[in-house]
Amino acid sequence: MDYRGPLSGIRVVDFSWIVAGPQATRILADFGAQVIRVEYEGRIDSIRMGNPSPGSASGSPNASGMFNNLNRNKLSITLNAVHPMGLELVKRLISVSDVVIENFRAHVMESWGLGYEEMAKIRPDIIYVAMSGFGHTGRHKMYSTWGPTAQALSGLTYMSGLPGVPSAGWGYSYMDHTAGYYGAAAILMALHHRERTGEGQFIDISQVECGMVLTGPAILDYSVNGRPYRRPGNPPGNHSTHPATAPHSTYRCAGEDRWIAISVFTDTQWAALCQAMGNPAWCREERFASRTARVEHQAELDHLVGEWTAHQDARELTHRLQALEVPAGLVQNARDRVEDDPQLRYRQFYPELDHPELGPHKFEGLPVHLSETPGSLRQAAPLLGQDTDVVLREILGLSDAEVAELAEAAVF
Amino acid sequence: MTSDTANLGPLVGLRVLELADEKGHYCGKLLADMGADVIKIEPPAGDAARRVGPFVHDAPHPDRSLFFWHYNTSKRGVTLNLETPEGRDLFRRLARGADMVLETLAPGYLPGLRLGYRELSAENPGLIMTSLTPFGQTGPYRDFVTSDLVSLAMGGPMASCGYDDIAGAPPIRGEGHQAYQTGSHYAFVGALVALYWRDLTGQGQYIDASIHEACSCTTEGAFPSWVYSGRVVIRQTGRHASMDPSQPWQFLCKDGRYVNLIGGVPRDQRQWQALLRWMDSKGMAEDLMDEKYQEVFRRRTLGRQDPLSHHVNEVLTRFFGNLPAEEVYHGAQACFMPMGIVRSPEETLDDPHFAEDRAFFSQLEHEELGRAVTYPGRPYIFQKTPWQLRRRAPRLGEHNEEVYCGELGLSKERLTLLAECGVI
Repeated sequence: MDYRGPLSGIRVVDFSWIVAGPQATRILADFGAQVIRVEYEGRIDSIRMGNPSPGSASGSPNASGMFNNLNRNKLSITLNAVHPMGLELVKRLISVSDVVIENFRAHVMESWGLGYEEMAKIRPDIIYVAMSGFGHTGRHKMYSTWGPTAQALSGLTYMSGLPGVPSAGWGYSYMDHTAGYYGAAAILMALHHRERTGEGQFIDISQVECGMVLTGPAILDYSVNGRPYRRPGNPPGNHSTHPATAPHSTYRCAGEDRWIAISVFTDTQWAALCQAMGNPAWCREERFASRTARVEHQAELDHLVGEWTAHQDARELTHRLQALEVPAGLVQNARDRVEDDPQLRYRQFYPELDHPELGPHKFEGLPVHLSETPGSLRQAAPLLGQDTDVVLREILGLSDAEVAELAEAAVF
Repeated sequence: MTSDTANLGPLVGLRVLELADEKGHYCGKLLADMGADVIKIEPPAGDAARRVGPFVHDAPHPDRSLFFWHYNTSKRGVTLNLETPEGRDLFRRLARGADMVLETLAPGYLPGLRLGYRELSAENPGLIMTSLTPFGQTGPYRDFVTSDLVSLAMGGPMASCGYDDIAGAPPIRGEGHQAYQTGSHYAFVGALVALYWRDLTGQGQYIDASIHEACSCTTEGAFPSWVYSGRVVIRQTGRHASMDPSQPWQFLCKDGRYVNLIGGVPRDQRQWQALLRWMDSKGMAEDLMDEKYQEVFRRRTLGRQDPLSHHVNEVLTRFFGNLPAEEVYHGAQACFMPMGIVRSPEETLDDPHFAEDRAFFSQLEHEELGRAVTYPGRPYIFQKTPWQLRRRAPRLGEHNEEVYCGELGLSKERLTLLAECGVI
């Protein structure tokens, strides 16, 4: 572990679990922060058990692929924070750390006696980021959230679907990833502020609010024009309402569940698409002669384009249309991305790491490439509690006798 | 600098030049709302986003796009034509005094104008330059053109979103420029990592951010399902895509609205007991009060294929279907269950928890409307360095004089000449 990254001097006490918090600390760890997951078998991260997401049915807390991908580069200690001696250790750890992060409901840390005020007594410049569904204030702060809850409440679920039928929604916890991005950004800004002023602070992140920000123009259309997003024709499926343009949709290709997305904005792109289609006679009809006309006859246009794409190979067609500068791309599932995407392969986006129980596997890389301080994938996710001993002895300076006493008291 | 400066936002004092279109203007907003002085640099005809609706009172005009308004809060705006030598010179002068440049132009475009990172950093070694592009600066797809839809298709999100109960339904993209927002989230994080490194060392750097890669690591279970199980997840209506079909999560309520409960059943015994009491109090527990059901969640979460889970899910479908959505939402949350209403975005304005207690929404004065406008608020509450909408989005060229005359020292006569010659 010779890597020194831009965050190598930063120690993070990480109480977070499931996806949102671990997503935040994954980014910090990839850039070198020492992220110490504080875990306990009595309240185990369910992702470790492969539930509710892909992973192991073996009963081992170390055999989940999803956990492995989310928690690489981190350390794990086991510690019962509600045991008085465990709490004492947590406080000692905070006293030598820069950041504390958790994504429990609002009351949990307080109930342990670890609110911000308490932490700041231990470590005056501590940065404490609380990531919850509803935030740490307000009448519903005790409500609980998973990604889909936040997506539903913020409007994002509703914005994904075909008109006139129930929402398709997001087929995964988009807002777990995204709240994690805000968590990482918040910590980085707080570190910048601390660097300039010596001051730490508390940061309250609500996952639902993060989602609400992402619906911005719809909120403004309502607050300025009084036009609700919930109206006939919405959500628009894969069509583009603003800016209005056509063709703009997904079209079936040859093979099982193969699709291509095509977005034509300009007359030049339209002419190029027509050329790719072999300039059939219908391309020259009045009803498709201008962007306005194409928008007005979108349904017929979609049908005709779809008849053509249905016989094409999705990736080959992507390359052919892109060569003509038409915005187009196949709908890629994970297999397509990991095995067949020449761009991701060229960019080495899926580096491999070895895990003691799972063996060598590919991991998602970093989508930002910093010229002087690139991130790095150094080691797979930690086994449950694998670093307890090292952290107690080397970071907290405990003696053999003290460690033995803690073991005796079943603190970890 | 007054002593209040520290209260204005963690990025106060940071000067950012933004050469970003719809792909990256959200990254600029994230910086600006936290206090950075973001100068949006548009071509003299204006950024294309100004021509995207909806518009104020449906009157299309470059200064009245609500799309542009949302994504360009807290920024100042100037016009500049980089295709002219004078324009490039002005940009170089601005870049000398900048901390960051954020750009979304085609790979190679700025270096072709001798305005790439190499040239700009030679005069300003602390400069942090972030390029956010559809596929990154290298590779076989680097020159591919995209749309938000195309990025969501190729990056993977769409493959997990759609319907399992509508024959032939395509993969669906979540509306609202989510690919570009995801790219912007990563560009933002990358720029902040570089900023922290500069705090420590004084050294700037170049950041190559790819929207394709940002979307590709924002697909949750799809990736490990393939890597660890060799399986592609299937799309399902209103719930997570998964390797095997799961039971419904999205329930139709009596008032025609939908609610959403991950998993479609309680997760543990505490939720289950509370739910049973609630259902029983409404006389709608059906056979679930039977002894044999009482302890079923004590030891485990019910598996997807468990017939009991299926039965509970069906009873719940009828129970929720007999109540209005608001009652289901609050009732289920009182049972500790992560229940949410499927809201349209504007319906969040009526939620007292967010709108009143947490004062989520923000007001910005729009003098041209003679009133304040309600905007979505902050994604985070910083105790000491708060997020804030600092000003409304700039009108086209609104700060030309302030920046070019006030800061670079050009005369007003020169400004007129540059305008007439198509430089600004």
